[in-house]
Amino acid sequence: MIAGLLQILLNGAASGGVYALVALGYTLIFSVLGVINFAQGALFSLGGYLTFLLMGGVIGVNGALPGGHLPLALPFWLALLLAAVGTGVAALLVERIAFAPLRRRGAEPLLSLITSLGAGVVLVNLLQILMGAEGYAFPQGAAALAGLPEALLIGGARIRTVQLALLLISAVAVAALTLWLERSRSGQAMRAVAEDPTAATLVGINSAAMVRLAFLLSGMLAGLGGGLIGVSVSLAGPYFGISYGLKGLAVLVLGGLGSVPGAIAGGLLMGLAEALIPSEASGWRDALAFAVLFAVLVVRPSGLLGRRVLEKV
Amino acid sequence: MLRSGGLSTSSSDLLTARRRGSVRLAVALAGAIGALAVLGRSTDPASKLLPAPTAPGGNLLLGAAIALTGNANLYGQDQRMGLNLARQWFASTSHSRPVTLQLEDGASDEPSAIAAFNLLIRRGVVALIGPTLSQQAFAADPIAQRQGVPVVAPSNTASGIPQIGSFISRVSAQISVIAPLSIDEALRRQPGIRRVAVFFAQDDAYSTAETAIFQKALAARGLKPVSVQRTQLADNDFQNPITAALQQKPQLIVISAQAVDGGNLIRQLRELGYRGLIVVGNGLNTPNIYPICQRWCDGVLIAQAYSPDLNTPINRSFRRLFSEANGGRTPGQITAQAWTAYQVLFEAIQRLQQRGALQGVTLEGVTLGEARTLLMQEVLSGRYDTPLGPIHFRPDGEVVQGRFYVAEVQMNASGRDGSFRLVHTVEVNNDGIIAEGRS
Repeated sequence: MIAGLLQILLNGAASGGVYALVALGYTLIFSVLGVINFAQGALFSLGGYLTFLLMGGVIGVNGALPGGHLPLALPFWLALLLAAVGTGVAALLVERIAFAPLRRRGAEPLLSLITSLGAGVVLVNLLQILMGAEGYAFPQGAAALAGLPEALLIGGARIRTVQLALLLISAVAVAALTLWLERSRSGQAMRAVAEDPTAATLVGINSAAMVRLAFLLSGMLAGLGGGLIGVSVSLAGPYFGISYGLKGLAVLVLGGLGSVPGAIAGGLLMGLAEALIPSEASGWRDALAFAVLFAVLVVRPSGLLGRRVLEKV
Repeated sequence: MLRSGGLSTSSSDLLTARRRGSVRLAVALAGAIGALAVLGRSTDPASKLLPAPTAPGGNLLLGAAIALTGNANLYGQDQRMGLNLARQWFASTSHSRPVTLQLEDGASDEPSAIAAFNLLIRRGVVALIGPTLSQQAFAADPIAQRQGVPVVAPSNTASGIPQIGSFISRVSAQISVIAPLSIDEALRRQPGIRRVAVFFAQDDAYSTAETAIFQKALAARGLKPVSVQRTQLADNDFQNPITAALQQKPQLIVISAQAVDGGNLIRQLRELGYRGLIVVGNGLNTPNIYPICQRWCDGVLIAQAYSPDLNTPINRSFRRLFSEANGGRTPGQITAQAWTAYQVLFEAIQRLQQRGALQGVTLEGVTLGEARTLLMQEVLSGRYDTPLGPIHFRPDGEVVQGRFYVAEVQMNASGRDGSFRLVHTVEVNNDGIIAEGRS
């Protein structure tokens, strides 16, 4: 009984940690710009593929350069970090292409949903052209967890070691981001821009730089998530990040738009809701998880930890 | 009263005027529809006469609508390889009617397959190959059937495909024949198996049909699944269903899924400690699973309609061409079936051309529509020596293939590549299994 409960908790935390990581990427941009970057799922895919290539991964027969690979083979952890930076740079590019022109023209913020969606679709298609449609798996033992068994038995509950590592890294990334936002000057500047961009500019904060920083960080989070998922469950084709992106979007709403603690709580709740679904109904997992989202929003339209926005008239 | 009468009169005039207007509109619409019908008829490629083989445009067009994008594109890429190799190979053989292959992306959903079929039919193809998925075939094949265009399906194995219509055939044997063979092999290896867990992708028509056949085969052998786990094609984290299934301590796991999700499932099953036998369905019948489940693929059992080990001249040629184009790799069933679909149509066209010349009724003397009908009859009446082995068709378009194989995945030392090692050959006729041979 206790082992069963622990198994559910572990299963829920393992998937919830990743959802939280994806949702945090959305949160950063939403809090600064008040818009959702629909290219986040595609950036997630990009992070996975970049990690794979930086580790010396070879392009499959259906890619544009069959058999091609980078002239280096980095260890997984270094490749993951560099891929996160690379994905952050790609996110900056998305900002330049899909968001900045609309901002300059003072266009309706809603329009950026479409431009970012377009940027995401283009990115995924470019990945498909370059890498082909096949799935890629990281080499065995890539995460250098060789000293540990493939799965760990914790109080009778079973979890794959790589998944536990993924959960821990997600937790560290989330904690570091929270600390940075709370304690550092640049983090506080970003919060100020999120609160009131005009007032922040008046007190000397470079709002444009903060927007770019938000995109860089959200891209890095997506890249980190993509690489970690890649080593945990392989890269299931260029579209694999899209489903995580959608789940992250749901978590963003569930936790409360723009709330960092909300993204974490929402991710864990979503993961737990999925894990609680009995095995016979496992095919309805997504439907039931979204039913939880619906129920929470009916009771708390601002999400779990979101702030209610008062409209001044 | 006046007011009433006046109103009445003007209402009547208005009514009459409206009626006249309606009649005029109806006449105009009928005229427009008639004109469109005449114009449409005159531009319908089916009504055009076929030119001589050496005349400009004398090449017969074959259309292939396969999944080059979407979640089935792994199969589509394998099919594209098979079709292109077949095109090159048969173009280099002596033939009397040149054939041009037009590939169109049928994507992985029904509307895209319908759109691709429509586009190819409008371009004047003499026959179609595709679509990739059975689910797409149920939507797109009726379009070809209505317009009298022969379809040879390379990879539609669900029940009822040839029964869609008289112009629909397939070279992929239906799953009900093949699937149970791998269960028998598992039971032969471990006769004491009593506890079986079943996994299937519930949002995939093929996988749900296949699991029903697997479960029926299990029941026929006295085995009731201790756990049935439903997954989805887009899933890649199977922690929940696997831990739930492993609590039931299964001795055999039977999987109906597609390559990527199924490959991931196998890997995670092994990582979470399952060491028993695994039987997989046709969705994992592709070398594309090797890089996904890597060394964890080792030992997986699968029943196949194709074996690269078949030692016939055509299969040796096919293997050689594939190996040259793919850095020494071995072809899989889906590529072989795509080659076979092209071969069937190419050979039927050549026979028709040659016999037509002998009988004085040449293909160039008929319209494209008539050629399509003649071609369908020729496809069904022919016998073909293909990489799958010798095949022919039943009158309803169902393929008759006499030999199937049970293979075991054998990964090489690097764990990155492998092969389907033939363990068992089964000769089948319409009455069931007639002979078995082990390698």
